[in-house]
Amino acid sequence: MPSTTDPAAEQKDRLIAAVKKEVKQLMEEAVTRKFVHEESGGVTALCGAVEACLGQGLRRRALGLFKTSSTTALLHKIAKHCPEAALVSARVLSAEGAPATRSASGVERRPSAPRPPLHKRGSGSLLGSQPPPTYRYLWIRIALFERQLAKIIEHLVNNATRYYERDALVADPDYGSILSSLLVGPCALEYSKAKAPVCFWTDPPADELVQRHRMSAGTTTPPSVRRPILNFRRSLNASSDDNASVNGGSGNSTASSAKDYVESLHQNSRATLLYGKNNVRVQPKDVEEAMPGYLSLHQSAAGLMIKWTPNQLMNGYAESEGIDKSIYWAMSLQVCVWEVVYVHVHRSQASDALILVGQDGVQRPPIHFPKGGHLLSFLSNLETGLLPHGQLDPPLWSQRGTGKVFGRNKGRRRPMPSLCESGENEESEVDEVAGDYVFRIVNNAIADREAMRHSLLERVIQSPPRTPRRTLASTSTTSSDSSTMSVDCPPIIGNLTQTTITQVSLEQAASIELVCSTMRRQIISRAFYGWLAYCRHLSTVRTHLSGLVHPNIVPGENTDEGLTDAIWRSMMDERGAIVDKDEVYRLVYYGGVQHDIRKEVWPFLLGYYEFNTTFQERQEQDCTYRRQYETTMSEWLCVEAIVKQRDREATAASIARLSESSGKPKPEVEPCEVFEDDCSVISDNPPVVSPEPSENEQKRLEVKPVLSRAPSIDEVDNIELDEEKNENGAKINGETDTCEDITFDDDDDDEVCIKSVVENPDMRRESIAEIKRLAEGIVQKGDGRGLLCSVDSGNANLNGNDNKSIEEPAPSHAHSVIVTNPSVDLAVTGGSPASGGTTVTLAPASPARSPLGVLREESHSAGASFDTLDPESRPDNRSNCVSPASSNGGVYSNELVESFALNLHRIEKDVQRCDRNYPFFTDENLDKLRNIMCTYVWEHLDMGYMQGMCDLAAPLLVIMRDEAVAHALFARLMCKAKDNFPSGQAMDAYFADMRSLIQILDCELYELMHAHGDYTHFYFCYRWFLLDFKRELLYQDVFSAWELIWVARYVASEHMVLFIALALLETYRDVILANSMDFTDIIKFFNEMAERHDASAVLSLARDLVLQVQTLIENK
Amino acid sequence: MSSRKKVLLKVIILGDSGVGKTSLMNQFVNKKFSNQYKATIGADFLTKEVIVDDRIVTMQIWDTAGQERFQSLGVAFYRGADCCVLVFDVTAPNTFKSLESWRDEFLIQASPRDPDHFPFVILGNKVDLDNRAVSAKRAQQWCQSKNDIPYFETSAKEAVNVELAFQTIARNALAQETEAELYNEFPDQIKLNANDNNRNRDGDNCAC
Repeated sequence: MPSTTDPAAEQKDRLIAAVKKEVKQLMEEAVTRKFVHEESGGVTALCGAVEACLGQGLRRRALGLFKTSSTTALLHKIAKHCPEAALVSARVLSAEGAPATRSASGVERRPSAPRPPLHKRGSGSLLGSQPPPTYRYLWIRIALFERQLAKIIEHLVNNATRYYERDALVADPDYGSILSSLLVGPCALEYSKAKAPVCFWTDPPADELVQRHRMSAGTTTPPSVRRPILNFRRSLNASSDDNASVNGGSGNSTASSAKDYVESLHQNSRATLLYGKNNVRVQPKDVEEAMPGYLSLHQSAAGLMIKWTPNQLMNGYAESEGIDKSIYWAMSLQVCVWEVVYVHVHRSQASDALILVGQDGVQRPPIHFPKGGHLLSFLSNLETGLLPHGQLDPPLWSQRGTGKVFGRNKGRRRPMPSLCESGENEESEVDEVAGDYVFRIVNNAIADREAMRHSLLERVIQSPPRTPRRTLASTSTTSSDSSTMSVDCPPIIGNLTQTTITQVSLEQAASIELVCSTMRRQIISRAFYGWLAYCRHLSTVRTHLSGLVHPNIVPGENTDEGLTDAIWRSMMDERGAIVDKDEVYRLVYYGGVQHDIRKEVWPFLLGYYEFNTTFQERQEQDCTYRRQYETTMSEWLCVEAIVKQRDREATAASIARLSESSGKPKPEVEPCEVFEDDCSVISDNPPVVSPEPSENEQKRLEVKPVLSRAPSIDEVDNIELDEEKNENGAKINGETDTCEDITFDDDDDDEVCIKSVVENPDMRRESIAEIKRLAEGIVQKGDGRGLLCSVDSGNANLNGNDNKSIEEPAPSHAHSVIVTNPSVDLAVTGGSPASGGTTVTLAPASPARSPLGVLREESHSAGASFDTLDPESRPDNRSNCVSPASSNGGVYSNELVESFALNLHRIEKDVQRCDRNYPFFTDENLDKLRNIMCTYVWEHLDMGYMQGMCDLAAPLLVIMRDEAVAHALFARLMCKAKDNFPSGQAMDAYFADMRSLIQILDCELYELMHAHGDYTHFYFCYRWFLLDFKRELLYQDVFSAWELIWVARYVASEHMVLFIALALLETYRDVILANSMDFTDIIKFFNEMAERHDASAVLSLARDLVLQVQTLIENK
Repeated sequence: MSSRKKVLLKVIILGDSGVGKTSLMNQFVNKKFSNQYKATIGADFLTKEVIVDDRIVTMQIWDTAGQERFQSLGVAFYRGADCCVLVFDVTAPNTFKSLESWRDEFLIQASPRDPDHFPFVILGNKVDLDNRAVSAKRAQQWCQSKNDIPYFETSAKEAVNVELAFQTIARNALAQETEAELYNEFPDQIKLNANDNNRNRDGDNCAC
């Protein structure tokens, strides 16, 4: 008897429990299907449960004139205060307005108690007498579909005092909120009126597919051994026994059966999942303790199946590696229900156990269900599943009406409390008594079939649905079936003697033999020709592919650790030169580079440093490169300023237009005007914006500086100013001129510098250190630098050296050398404004390098002093100056500016989005990335920016940290990579090679792809090749993949990407094959798998593949 | 798995880079917005089952790279499209201006049966931002001038109008699909018969 203190609380408990249960059921349904049908039994049951809760303790009087349903009345009542309720109320009224439904509407019916779904599901007949479910609980239903139910209930709970008795469930602070929160879930579901097809399963996501595959692959041997990749025989479908023998039928068949098994655990087209429950415990043989596992009941064409799978197999994903799962596979249960005669149920305090007894009298290990009605629901599902051909004896539900379920059972076997009672009434469950039940599984179909079996054997095969047979039996029957067609199977003939074969006359048998031998011969010859043709084809493919790999195989001994710091150091001579570069390549190829020394090694791998250079030479190379880099940067920064200005105008114009159109006239923006006072606008930074058009215009009239990119041929108009800026001018003009100009230019440059400083705060820190280092180097050997500058007048900077040495030699010199922003920063940090003298002397040096640079430089040095002085003074200054950027709107060709603008916008868009999830890419570093991009694009304006470049540069920047060097490496990388972009041709070649490679390495996959037709281009590899797998792998894996690709060029193959791609494909070949993925499926699969690959396995497989192709070509 | 018969609607999203194509797709399919999307390289698609007029249909939404030079590769994806979604950024007038060329390009590449009535939908994205530069009126006008293309102002970030827009997309695509089916069946059948006749005749000839 229930030992409850308070019957009211008891009742509330029960009501809430009912709702909980229904919610759970519904949510589960929503998980297996994608949405819930509106007329689903679960919905009705839930509505019933909710109704019961709401009805409990409702104050009738408060509802006034509504006579229909108390809760419906309640809804209409609260509609005044609660908008959600108002909406639903309106819907209900309109729905009820439909003729005839009103009277039929079951809304009035207020069930006294919630109905657990089992009742309805257990026997559909019970529902027969009731009105169509749609109209029951109408308003709750509508509220649920409109997703308002939770809110309405919340409202009710909050205002419970108005409508409910004090002890009502809704008025209860705990239960009320529980109720409303319970319903949030169902309110979020999607409900559908549409009749869904029975098997409406969505494509499982890639993860799921891989996991399923891993589970099934657990039984088989490890992947590397599992299947010889180069298997020519595989595709020889003509000779079937070849396949069987070569592939070692056993291994393959277990693999496939395991795969089927895993597939079968899920709802699929072949079998319906009737019941599934996890953590059901079974104690297999030889195991001490009962193990939890997943119990499922499947309805398939072959009949009902009970399966139990240990959790160890279910959770295969996490611990897939290294554990031998075969034990677990041995433990799993698979019982065909038709083989079971008796089902014993033992109920005890601890758990509910279920024992299946087979036809042979053997007991299966007991299945222990967790408490809480699971056993009951399993049994009821089992019973439902048995219909129509079988049944449980005694029936589980037949006597529900009497309230004494299992009455018959009780009488026949032994006294016991009713199972169902306990499921129905929580009270009795409290002190439930242990009890045993026995059910017999009756198969009505068997009797019929037994009768037919003798008359016609084939019928057995053709009526599989309820055939009780083990897998073994089934295979033998099917084989006998097929053997009636193929002729060489004497045993079957023996089998069939009873029936059809007895009629076969002897002469017929003789002719069959003849036919047989002919066929055999034909098959063999066909197979042979097939094989021959295939070999020929392969040899042609092979010759085509021989270019893909190097002929000589480099052995991979002692390369496990890759290139470590110690090895790397030991390979350098005292001057820093590396003697044995092949060894470096080999080590990297097989083992990668230790992360700490990547920064050092990568420039070598990418060919930026020569291996035989010394430390010093490399340092110089860096200096030179950095100078070049910064010069280039200063060039595009000017153009950027113009672009920015134009943008602002455009935005202003469009905003103006927008506001005009919306009827609010704004002060007009004059494009020309705005454009002219560039200097004010040059930089986006707020402090700089103080336009003084008039002054600027003045200046502009007298000065027309020509700023041009090196290649552009702008003639020198105004000699005074243009000299330095124009290439020719720069070369021709002496130092004196430039000195003069400096006075002019300081200012403009100042702006630009300021701007860039503000924009690239990151550069500062970076550059300071570098510049110092650089400066030292330079001071040491001024001559060298001069040489590097490689220009006549440039030598003037030797003087500069002297000057520098006077005051703060290192930094200031660095300044002069480095044309752009960083130098400014240096000045700032150094706290020593460059003296005018320095600037002047330095100025001439720069023109030698590049006219633009000069400009920057001079001005910058002056600017530097500015910077350090104080920010306030800047605006004035600026207004006085003519900024080169501003004025050269007319000087740069419009085309140039426009094309750069276009690229700039794209770069900005992409840089912002580049790897935002990766912590390295702070704003500071993104700015670096942007600079690298812009500089590269400025140098290759004809090619322009292409999406994906950011991705290629990002890992380089991550490793190198230094902008200039990263740019150098990026430029190197792009030499090859640019062909992959749409403008190049490499991608098509890759696709073609991919195709051939798959053809020779994995025929099965090739055939699948061919079967789906649209594989002529391997589009799913597109991103792989374009970005060298940057998007497919995690950062640390990208590093090793790239190293591999770079060094493979010298070790094994020019086109390592192909083999990595192939390795990726091979890694998932079984998943692809098993799901027979088409073109789009594969794209989706790999997009979803991005950054989830096991990179080290893939890379080593890639190396293996190279080796395979190498050997293949070698022994042709 | 592949044998199941259901309606598949192929939807292509086009537009300049950075207008929010990926975000829109993900907002619609996964109901979430992330500011972590990278520039789309190649193409990706997501599928979502939706209910249109009591029919369950699967929308296969293709998200493409925004840079126009990558479009040459997109041709394979354009083929068989049931609807094309053109997206622009209401804060960037240029992206609006290029709608025209996106549309033309699509029509050329996909070469639909009836280009004048091929369903397009225009989405003006990022309406949550303040610095709007393309007025709704201007966009509307353009859409009207192009055969009354439906126009929605959306925000993938704040899920404004996304659901509604894609419902329209699905409905229009479905209309297109059914139409296409009608078109497809008849000529095929006729062709098939013609072939059969030919073959028979040939056979006869051979026999003679």
